[in-house]
Amino acid sequence: MVWVETVLNGIFLGGLYGILGLGLALVFGVMKVINVAHGDFIVLSAFIGVFLSAAVPGVSPLLIILPVVAIAAGLGWAFQSVLMNRVIDSDDMLVPMLLTFGVSFVMRNIMLETFGATPVTLEAGALSRASFQVAGLHLGVLPVLTLAISVVLFGGLNWLITRTEIGRVIRATSDNTAIARLMGVRPGRIYALVMALSLALAAVAGLLLAMRTSFTPSSGIDRILIAFEVVVLGGLGSFWGALLAGIALGVTQLVGFRFDANSGLLYAHLLFLAFLIARPNGLFGSK
Amino acid sequence: MDVIQIERLEAFYGDMQALFGVSLGLRAGETFALVGANGAGKSTLMRALVGLVRDRRGHIRLGGEELIATSPEQIARAGIALVPEGRQLFASLTVEENLQMGAMNRRRGPWDLEAIYGLFPVLRERRRQMAVTMSGGQQQMVAIGRALMANPRVLLCDELSLGLAPVIVSQIYDSFARIRAEGMSMIIVEQDIERAIAVSDRMACLLHGQVTLRVEDTARVDIDALSAAYFGE
Ligand SMILES: Nc1ncnc2c1ncn2[C@@H]1O[C@H](COP(=O)(O)OP(=O)(O)OP(=O)(O)O)[C@@H](O)[C@H]1O
Ligand SMILES: [Mg+2]
Repeated sequence: MVWVETVLNGIFLGGLYGILGLGLALVFGVMKVINVAHGDFIVLSAFIGVFLSAAVPGVSPLLIILPVVAIAAGLGWAFQSVLMNRVIDSDDMLVPMLLTFGVSFVMRNIMLETFGATPVTLEAGALSRASFQVAGLHLGVLPVLTLAISVVLFGGLNWLITRTEIGRVIRATSDNTAIARLMGVRPGRIYALVMALSLALAAVAGLLLAMRTSFTPSSGIDRILIAFEVVVLGGLGSFWGALLAGIALGVTQLVGFRFDANSGLLYAHLLFLAFLIARPNGLFGSK
Repeated sequence: MDVIQIERLEAFYGDMQALFGVSLGLRAGETFALVGANGAGKSTLMRALVGLVRDRRGHIRLGGEELIATSPEQIARAGIALVPEGRQLFASLTVEENLQMGAMNRRRGPWDLEAIYGLFPVLRERRRQMAVTMSGGQQQMVAIGRALMANPRVLLCDELSLGLAPVIVSQIYDSFARIRAEGMSMIIVEQDIERAIAVSDRMACLLHGQVTLRVEDTARVDIDALSAAYFGE
């Protein structure tokens, strides 16, 4: 029973990891840029969440998600329009990535300066302790809710990209930017929208993660590492691949934890390494 | 007045100059053919007109409006559409989605999905198929349809026949009668000189980025002069 619970909890956690990667995958898929600051935006969202829930005590942390997502989307829009769009047309693909690297560095230091280095958590109150039993299994409400939110976000993004006009324009811009411009598309706007979406997803993941584990201004590194592993494992640009990859990492982490309580993310990273050697193009990538 | 006036157009790729003062005018409703050897600068001219070659000088006036310093998306809104060389369809879009991309500017006119499906019925049958999985001829139809969906004032076609069997090329050019009947003004680039003469009212020959011959009436074209202009003899 304990093992089943462990695996289930791994799946719940994996959904969250999936969203961490989803935002990164979206930006990479459309702009071919790895946003190194993705993890720091995740952490910043968590800090904003902590700040807001302290400002309005008694409000459910799940409701806090809404304003934080809106703020993160606005930040994403501004980050892309003001900074990234200046270098996105560069012939050298390293230039935009280096810029995100610089932004990551600056963000981390500003957060250290502002919030200090002591670990904090987002207090979820009763919700974090609530649990229920099915078929003799003891499960937490928050983890189950987390997976449900993940699945809804994956489905929603998939719907947006494949079924709506804006999704069609995003795909077209990603396929062939020059020709999309001939149809009147302004790529800078599409990129800003994609970054807004990406950081909105990052914010949801950041808050849900902050309810489970404590974080500091330097936690961005851990977050982006998982996000990166999810994107690569899932096959660059594959949405559902990212969800499955997140689940694989989550299950490995928690099962590893059962064997070795000090392992942390070690086994998840090892799984990633093993896959990288066996299937360099990801779970679903062609060899 | 001409729909589009091109005056002393120069275009550059970095340090390399590809067009040296090209001047052309396109009359309303006419089909104008551009011919010339490989590397003459035909595609460069097309791409400079829509703003894809950014480094350009001279004048491009559409209905009197100067477009030389304008971005591709603004030029598209002003009403120039291009069927690019090699078709360049959106690979992750279906046939219908590719066509819909053409209508992003919401310019009004006779061309909508129904009209395109009327022109190329096979596209209606395949509208849910990924565009790039179709045959070359069908892909060319999508590329033409996508450009028409913008209801442009000027339609530019760059080498429609590239890589297609002669029968297919004939089918595609047959559709031009319908497009002309709607009053479209067109500039077409064509390697096949006989074909160019057959479909156009007037034509010009380009060599090394310059106009080497103008034909004011393609019904009375001097083949010797044309081949001299084409090969630069
Ligand atoms: N992207 C580019 N960068 C640098 N030079 C280019 C580029 N595209 C074209 N050129 C050069 O510009 C000149 C004109 O090329 P262009 O493609 O316009 O010729 P074309 O008449 O369309 O030829 P073709 O019949 O082969 O399509 C050629 O010398 C070509 O090498
Ligand atoms: Mg060409």
